[in-house]
Amino acid sequence: MAKLSSILSSPFDKKPNSVSALMLWVVGATLPGLFALIHFFGFGVLINLCLAITTALVCEAVILKLRQKPLLPILLDGSALVTAWLLALALPPLLPWWMTVIGSAFAIIFAKHLYGGLGNNLFNPAMVGYVLLLISFPVHMTSWLPAQDLAANPISLGDTFSYIFTGTSTNGADISWARQGIDGFTLATPLDHVKTELSQGFRIAEIQSSPIIEGLSGIGWQWVNLAFLLGGLALLIRKVIGWQIVAGTLLGVCGMAFLLFAIDSDHYVSPLFHLFSGATMLTAFFIATDPVTASTTAKGRWLFGLGIGIICVVIRTFGGYPDAFAFAVLIMNMTVPMIDYYTKPKAYGHQKSSNGTGSSNG
Amino acid sequence: MERSNFTSEIPIFNIPGGIHPAEHKTESNSQPIRKLPLAKQLVINLKGQAGNRSVATVEVGDYVLKGQVIAENDGIFSSYQHAPSSGTVIAIEKRPIAHPSGLEDLCIIIETDGQDKWCDLSPVDYKNLQREQILARIFEAGIVGLGGASFPSHIKLKREQGIDTLIINAAECEPYITCDDRLLQENAKQVLAGAQIVAHLFHNLNIVIGIEDNKPAAIEALKKARQELQLDNLKIAVVPTKYPSGGEKQLIQLLTGKQVPHGKLPADLGIIMHNVGTCFAIYEAIIHGKPLVERIVTLTGDACSNKGNYRIPFGTPIEHLIKATESQLANKYIMGGPMMGYELQSLSIGIVKATNCIIMNNKQLPANQSVLPCIRCGECMNACPAELLPQQLYWHSKADEFDKAEDYNLFDCIECGACAYVCPSNIPLVQYYRYAKSTIRNNRVEKIKADKARQRHEARLERIERVKREKAEKHQKAAEARRKAAQATGQDDAKKAAVAAALARVQAKKAQQEKTADKADCVDNNKQESS
Repeated sequence: MAKLSSILSSPFDKKPNSVSALMLWVVGATLPGLFALIHFFGFGVLINLCLAITTALVCEAVILKLRQKPLLPILLDGSALVTAWLLALALPPLLPWWMTVIGSAFAIIFAKHLYGGLGNNLFNPAMVGYVLLLISFPVHMTSWLPAQDLAANPISLGDTFSYIFTGTSTNGADISWARQGIDGFTLATPLDHVKTELSQGFRIAEIQSSPIIEGLSGIGWQWVNLAFLLGGLALLIRKVIGWQIVAGTLLGVCGMAFLLFAIDSDHYVSPLFHLFSGATMLTAFFIATDPVTASTTAKGRWLFGLGIGIICVVIRTFGGYPDAFAFAVLIMNMTVPMIDYYTKPKAYGHQKSSNGTGSSNG
Repeated sequence: MERSNFTSEIPIFNIPGGIHPAEHKTESNSQPIRKLPLAKQLVINLKGQAGNRSVATVEVGDYVLKGQVIAENDGIFSSYQHAPSSGTVIAIEKRPIAHPSGLEDLCIIIETDGQDKWCDLSPVDYKNLQREQILARIFEAGIVGLGGASFPSHIKLKREQGIDTLIINAAECEPYITCDDRLLQENAKQVLAGAQIVAHLFHNLNIVIGIEDNKPAAIEALKKARQELQLDNLKIAVVPTKYPSGGEKQLIQLLTGKQVPHGKLPADLGIIMHNVGTCFAIYEAIIHGKPLVERIVTLTGDACSNKGNYRIPFGTPIEHLIKATESQLANKYIMGGPMMGYELQSLSIGIVKATNCIIMNNKQLPANQSVLPCIRCGECMNACPAELLPQQLYWHSKADEFDKAEDYNLFDCIECGACAYVCPSNIPLVQYYRYAKSTIRNNRVEKIKADKARQRHEARLERIERVKREKAEKHQKAAEARRKAAQATGQDDAKKAAVAAALARVQAKKAQQEKTADKADCVDNNKQESS
């Protein structure tokens, strides 16, 4: 490749934006969601964040050293921070510390750097880390805390630390203690709850009486989703993320959920419930919009988003896992090269409409 | 910057992409157009236009008058050059020229005598001239597109059939540059008179002047000039300020909603486009008989002490402009605008017909920041006015996958630089595209050459083979004839037979020798060809 000297090249003016600024915007926009998570599920998520970020930065530094790349510019680009950040937001609050470390390390080392580092990875690193953990430790990964307002035993900061680093509370109780509802039963997440109840032959109308899915989608989760929606809108307004991906994902969720709901509203939950439960908003605004692993064309972004939304509802409804965004994102990551190729926009002068003489390439 | 509230007289369409860089226009557009003291030496680049190098018609030692022809065209895309001032030709030699790589090329160097004395000018009443005569005058006045491409104007005007619209490009969308703005503020009437001359070459031509809304004074001047000239078929189309709305294809899309089809010309849509500076030059050439010897250049940038627009003779060296504007030496000199211009490698080069602006800059531009990997954010795609996928073009150009880059319509890239301007990773995208384009072009030329060489080689091998075959046949026939002769004379005489046998052996040996000699010859020739 010919030597490219940036001195000679026009343009000589540059919009003041940078990769790290984009990354910091993403992190900043998750703050409302983060506060909601802390409010409803305790401080576990903060500890997860610290663990994941430290692991990600250390792993990135080690790999960069091994690859003989400059450390600072890449560590400071914020991409490892975002990967760790999004992973930590998706993890259950009381996950044992070493699982968070494994997930974060796997995301950075395997999903990112083994593919060539920033910009070269096919799969969303945070979701690769998440799925590794989900498949390896399904029990831990689906042991979410109930919203603290519903829990029989709201946990203290000390308990949170104790659970994460020793696996039991300060009193030696295991995780099921923290998950107990006021009535003494273990409280699941709304998605999990609906799945279990449906499998036991209940109908939606009967399930909905439970406090777990009160309101739109249960007391904690609807607010968490609304908070992520709020932060996500800020990103849209700042044009940090591709709006087509967000629109596609939300439309995919709504469309698929509506289809099922219209067919049989006794056995399929409403589109609204899907929109505001689990990781819907986090994914639509923050995870699916990772530009490196998403489709890069305008039309392709719609397809990419739609695919994620549809696959997610399908797995939530018919699959073995209560939530499925990580799978949906990874599956759609695989399709990106093909989507990109077939959704090339028509370049200037290639439109058929222009005088009917649009010609082929060359 | 101030925006005009003048409503466009024709509907304006939208163009995709585009950017809004800092305009930096007010620094240079408040002062009237000035003149600078004449330079001692003028360096006139014979390759100062599109097409072939002009051929010098003067010799060293000749005295020339301002406006006298000093070089002729070579081929149709080339053009005439005239002495920008009176003086003596002191050299015709290679000098650094206005080119991004600092190339040297043939220049005529004139030492000015300070008289600035015009040669005889022959103004004409164009209304009495034939179409061809007007075109010839425009050609002989050395007029090329002054918007930047330097394409000979008369060629654009040649085609008469099917042309219904003249678009005058006054968009001037690049930051810093204000030469067209100032020209309209001061000489709108002459510019429109030039447009009238162009309109005279066609039947019922609609004239549309496309101008960005950041030039309210120029728009006012245009309105006034139109009234004075009673140009009723002229429409003023005010387009929103957005780079690169002044690109030929982009302005056509803005004003007509149509796209110039790939591989076609604006003329195929019935449109011709000329820059305001070109219209002014046509006016000067026809009405005053003045050939193109100077142009308005914007001198600006943070290191320029007297920013503004100047009427500068061609060939004036940059170093003279620095001195004459009492500017300090700057870190960087850019010819053209910041988006599509290039950095000058030498200050001794003379300005050419395409030079619309010189930016003298000290400030480090943010473009020098460290380059990070592409994160496919798509900012470039949103900024691209040609609706390309710059991120994919970059990916394939970087990997030398040129066929794929072409598949993504690399050659529809107009190199406007909007993609690189918005890139958060600071990737010099345009440079990758230029690299890919030039490599593809070179490969094509190489391939044609290689194909020709292969054909020649194959033809030669076939010829040698044929000659060998013919010789062998001849020998065989001769041998047979001899054998028959021997048989006829009878085999009774043993002595005779022995002689005949000996002769035949010699004959055969000779044939063998000839064969090897032929081979050696063949090898020799091959060597010669390959060397």
